[in-house]
Amino acid sequence: MVNNVDKEFITRGVRRCSTPRFVLWLAPWVALLLFGVYSAGLCLVKGLNQTNMDNRYAFGLWIFVDLTIIALGAGAFFTGFLLYILKFKELRSVINSAVVIGVVCYSGAMAALMVDVGQPLRAWFTFWYPNVHSMLTEVTFCISCYLAVLLIEYLPIVLKNRKLREVPGFLVFEFELHKLIYVLAGVGTFLSFFHQGSLGGLYGVLRGRPFAFREGIFVWPSTFFLFIISAAAVGPSFLILTTWLVEKITGKRLVKDRVFNLLARISGILLAIYVLAKTVDTLIWINRTSPALGFTASQYYDWKPFGTWILFAEIVLCGLVPALILLTPRLRARRAWLIPAAALACTGIALNRYVQTVQTMALPTLSFDKFLSYTPSWQETGTFLGVLAYGVIVYSFSFRYFRIFPEERELKTEARPRHEEEPALAGRF
Amino acid sequence: MFPWNYGFHFGAASYIFLGAFYIVVLVVATTLLNALWRTKHSLSEGKVEDIRWHSDFHDLSAADRSCRHVLTGEFTSRECPHAFDCRQCETHAKLIALHPPVHAAEAEAEIFGMSFPLDRMYHRGHTWARPEADGTVTVGLDDLGARLLGTPDAVDLPRPGSRVQVNGTAFRIHKREANVRVLSPVDGEVVETGGPGRGFFLRVKPLSGPIDMRHLLRGSEVKPWLMRELERLQLALTMEGASVPSLADGGVPVSDIAAAYPRTDWDAVCGEMFLEP
Repeated sequence: MVNNVDKEFITRGVRRCSTPRFVLWLAPWVALLLFGVYSAGLCLVKGLNQTNMDNRYAFGLWIFVDLTIIALGAGAFFTGFLLYILKFKELRSVINSAVVIGVVCYSGAMAALMVDVGQPLRAWFTFWYPNVHSMLTEVTFCISCYLAVLLIEYLPIVLKNRKLREVPGFLVFEFELHKLIYVLAGVGTFLSFFHQGSLGGLYGVLRGRPFAFREGIFVWPSTFFLFIISAAAVGPSFLILTTWLVEKITGKRLVKDRVFNLLARISGILLAIYVLAKTVDTLIWINRTSPALGFTASQYYDWKPFGTWILFAEIVLCGLVPALILLTPRLRARRAWLIPAAALACTGIALNRYVQTVQTMALPTLSFDKFLSYTPSWQETGTFLGVLAYGVIVYSFSFRYFRIFPEERELKTEARPRHEEEPALAGRF
Repeated sequence: MFPWNYGFHFGAASYIFLGAFYIVVLVVATTLLNALWRTKHSLSEGKVEDIRWHSDFHDLSAADRSCRHVLTGEFTSRECPHAFDCRQCETHAKLIALHPPVHAAEAEAEIFGMSFPLDRMYHRGHTWARPEADGTVTVGLDDLGARLLGTPDAVDLPRPGSRVQVNGTAFRIHKREANVRVLSPVDGEVVETGGPGRGFFLRVKPLSGPIDMRHLLRGSEVKPWLMRELERLQLALTMEGASVPSLADGGVPVSDIAAAYPRTDWDAVCGEMFLEP
């Protein structure tokens, strides 16, 4: 049974598991979070010697995780952009989930970054004495601003809680803030566009790392644009994946199939554009950029385990294949194809961020350099697991107490149709 | 980077970066302050009930937001753009002028076995409003609403002297786990309330002039609306996992529907029927 006090906070008409069962679900995640806090605490108190990174290998698990979750969390800005600016009203049913995912991803990334940078008492130096020569400055500013925007966007979701809205001030503030949400969606899009791009640009400008260095337009290397397109492409796929996962865990139908279909179509189109752009970029890099810096592309793939398989996996297996599945109406209409395709797309982007971070650092660039290998320490892994647990806990709380999927109640009795029609607004894309 | 930093000098990059950064901060801060200012303004103007209803209305399913003229078949589909306040609806005014609702000759009507007297007007949140000879209006729960709640466990009636407004909370009813607000069909000041034994009702005095009741259902509009409401009730019961009997001849809802479904989440059913999602 759901505890009576607990029930007062749960949205009317939706079923949630009993209070003890919810506590039981949270228990392992809380334990993991505590382990993460302990690991991060060690790094903050004792210093970065707790990690396996060093001056030569300065980007490790945390930066890879940051880049990946920031790309996966892009569903928040992109769904907001599609809903509030381009008026894809069907996405109303997933926007709250997208915002929660965004908050979790960005706040998790900020937390991991704070541990990575170290010196938490001087964290404000980043803003007060920014390094004008670092692309990370723009990234830090944009991510901080966007996290603030996301938290403001999350506020109406919290204040809409059944019990909280009994307080007149909360009810009215939520209502008034929601009316202005399109402004925040616009600002979020602007900020996301730049920080996703800057994160890519960060690698593209590394002239001393020919594996990562790219040419581009004006001051922006090609990776600037590739990161933006890939994040926009994978955001909807991650939203599909998380919604499906929540449906499976809770045993409920939360979103209409036509919404899944629309998200898949958007993701497929953008993923196809990304694969095309990435292919062109890779060909230019192999044939022009890299040779001009004195390296043939084959040299990068001589070092095991980073063989050419990784390039194939990134572009074809986790790029082209899911793009084709997501673009084929008959395939994306079936969960057996849709979910693996969305998972492949997410894996592809994670692989791309992994290659950009870990492979870039591992490869030798000077004649006396050696191929470096790196395995994260348990403190690094613990911090990462802590971020993961934090995400699950925040999402679980949000799902239990807030109206994350507005169509949940309506869908309680509807059987899933074999093939739902194409979304009415899909033709706009 | 910033003018207060050592070694700072103005250049194109600092203009672009600082310009973009401060514009973003300014827009976000202005949006937040604007929302806070509007909140303060709305609270001081007593718009809480109005906002509560608009927020609830926004959360209703599209089918529940349908225009009253869909119920009568004048539209095949149309969402109400005025949150059930037809007093400000031009389309409603035109349609009423073209096809005024027919007033039935008999004083009392029995629709689907329930009592829906036609001497009064009905609100879609299951209340009625009956103008009295002294200029006041009596507000009560309609028969379907009363059958849904049976004998309430508790009713929170407003105090005489307090004000109610259209689509605001008239009173709250507690029944089993259900705790629902019942929407007021009219604006005015409460002059009398009926407690246990007398039936739960309010007598409302208009604040100025006669009470405008253009937004309420009347005459021939009541039956199609009620038919839709019974469908909604069936759907709500089904959603809560109750097995809903279906009789070829229709049947009549029992006087205490809640008692017939002891294991159903009655809060959810009442929330659905009283338009409080």
